[in-house]
Amino acid sequence: MPLKSLYNSNVFLKSVFAICLFLILFITGVSYKQIQDLSFSSSQVVQTYKVNVELEQIISYLKDAETGQRGFIITNDSVYLEPYLASREKINNSLATLKELTKQSDKQQENLKNLNVSIEERLENFAATYASYVKRDMDTPEFKGLFLAGKTTMDSIRSQVSNMIVLEGQKLENRRDTYKDDVRFTPIFLFVLVLLTLVLLVISYAKIQSDVKKLKRANAKLEVFKESTNKSEIIAKHGNWIWHIEDDYFEYSDNMFRLLGEEPQSFESTIENFMQFVHPDDLEKLSAQVEQMMVDEDLPFINYRIIRKSGEMRYFKARGQKVSGTDFKKKLIGTTHDITDEVENLLKLEERNFELERNNEELSAFNHVASHDLQEPLRKIQTFLSRLEDKEKNNLSDSGKQYVERIVSAATRMRLLIDDLLQFSRTNKSDQIFEASNLNHLLEEAKLDISEKIEAKKAIINAEVLPEGCVIPFQIQQLFTNILGNALKYAKEDVAPIIDVSYAKIKAKDDTRLDSQKADYYHRVVFKDNGIGFEQEYAEKIFELFNRLHNRESYSGTGIGLAICKKIVENHKGYIFASGMPNEGAVFSIFFPIDEK
Amino acid sequence: MNTDYIHIILADDDEDDRLFFTDAFDELKINTKVQTYNDGVELMDYLNAPDSVLPQVLFLDLNMPRKSGMECLEEIKADTRFKDIAIAIYSTSASEEDIENTFVQGANIYIKKPSDFKKLKKALSQVVTINWQYHTNGLNKDNFLLRL
Repeated sequence: MPLKSLYNSNVFLKSVFAICLFLILFITGVSYKQIQDLSFSSSQVVQTYKVNVELEQIISYLKDAETGQRGFIITNDSVYLEPYLASREKINNSLATLKELTKQSDKQQENLKNLNVSIEERLENFAATYASYVKRDMDTPEFKGLFLAGKTTMDSIRSQVSNMIVLEGQKLENRRDTYKDDVRFTPIFLFVLVLLTLVLLVISYAKIQSDVKKLKRANAKLEVFKESTNKSEIIAKHGNWIWHIEDDYFEYSDNMFRLLGEEPQSFESTIENFMQFVHPDDLEKLSAQVEQMMVDEDLPFINYRIIRKSGEMRYFKARGQKVSGTDFKKKLIGTTHDITDEVENLLKLEERNFELERNNEELSAFNHVASHDLQEPLRKIQTFLSRLEDKEKNNLSDSGKQYVERIVSAATRMRLLIDDLLQFSRTNKSDQIFEASNLNHLLEEAKLDISEKIEAKKAIINAEVLPEGCVIPFQIQQLFTNILGNALKYAKEDVAPIIDVSYAKIKAKDDTRLDSQKADYYHRVVFKDNGIGFEQEYAEKIFELFNRLHNRESYSGTGIGLAICKKIVENHKGYIFASGMPNEGAVFSIFFPIDEK
Repeated sequence: MNTDYIHIILADDDEDDRLFFTDAFDELKINTKVQTYNDGVELMDYLNAPDSVLPQVLFLDLNMPRKSGMECLEEIKADTRFKDIAIAIYSTSASEEDIENTFVQGANIYIKKPSDFKKLKKALSQVVTINWQYHTNGLNKDNFLLRL
């Protein structure tokens, strides 16, 4: 595993190349040295041969001189003397050459000096022999002695020369021995090194090859990713930008330019250029935010507007966060979102909401004012009617009395309608305050509201203990009043009404009509009466506004009371259901969600 | 304080209502002296006059031009000279808001104008015969509104 990670690391290639480079340099060095040595060797060989040649030359000159002298002595012809005469200079030249050639070797120099001495001796011997010959005392023992001495000297020279040649040969031999190992092992060593270098190169080539493949794959993926990013940027109206913090320059994605209504990369991506698009009203704020971003190296969500060159205004929202890139340089990567559509939708929605609210308010105000202001003239009509009945009844004819009665009944009905309408408009108000209230108390209040009717009908109300709840108290009281009033109104004519009020805590899952998402448990308050009841098919209709099951002659009513009940229960996120059996009675079940909090 | 009769003042801009009011007291067998004013400004002018005789019970309509009953109530309650006047709100509406506000401002009772003359007489006779000392001590939001 560590080997593999080593193989995969960036250092691997670098070190392999460093090793290869070193090996190649090493091989070059060794080869250079080897060649140097070889050339030195060969120059040594040449030198040895030159020395040998010169030495042989000297012997040959001496021989020539000897032969020439002998020829002269035999023939007395001076022609034979020429080589003898020339020999001295030639020998001196050779000796000078030899001195130059053997300056490296002290021993040879020494030998050369001795040789020189011997040669001098031989040449002097020649001179003495020549002198004796000229004096013609050849048969003298001195002359013979001179001849013999000449021969001896010559022999000594020969032996010296051959010694020197042997010495040169030995030197050559020694040198050959010294380099023999080098010459044998260096090529093998170099060959191994070259092989090693080749292997390393092959490995790194394979590595490069696989890296290139990987890079290509990664590149292809990146290409796809880039394309999808581009597309998604266009679709989502996003633009990306990078602030290279350390080098302090910006980079905008293509779509950033499109968001600004420009061709991609059509201008230099600088803050200054970008700011030219910003809405003049937002310029100051945005500049401050950008400056803050440069201090904090962070950009929280900001909103601003820009104006395209076409004059179109767009809403932007931007956010930036610092990241440490793979190259370990600090960057702030930001994204800018064109939220114009959202903002416009929001504005539209707000406008519509505002309109709705205003409409609602107007309606509610109209309802309230209408019913409220209608009360005043109606009250006067009724009061004057009561005055008329009190004071002037006896002055009216029978039909006149009947008319007055009709007016009274119509006015009463109008009062009823106005009161109910007023109540209905009050249940519409949205700013009702929920407070913890005792429902028993509210039921008592409701009973008090209609105490006259209860007494008149001799009704009996049996109520179980009700819980406390967080409600709008006057609305719940109204609800109870309306339901009790309803039960009294639709009581059987000959039977005293009995109303049973029962309570239970209900699990939402036990009743399919209840939404268990809203609450797990519900308060259930049931009002059961023994009145005239109704057909079950009207169970939902009776809660509709102005909906009545009976004509006005038999039962007075506005068709608002139960609609108010439904509205109140809905205000409390509860449910109201009715069920009825003709001539048996009606049951109203009210459910309030129990807030577990 | 004259104890022979009960001094009553009504401030109401509606002529019919003033008529019903005076008629009702005429028919009631209670010894009363009834004064009426057409709006809040007239009322306050009278009350603020140094030589004015202050009533025992003041009936205030809420909705009046120039100066509303609510404004009169605030001014009266701000002046200790008027601290002994019992104030009955006498209004067409009986909205929670009006009841709440006038109660908080220190009115003593709230009467919703009835639509029946008999009921009017009953309400007025109840109000003028209330033992205000006793009523005010036990006053709360529930018995503030006169039930008929």
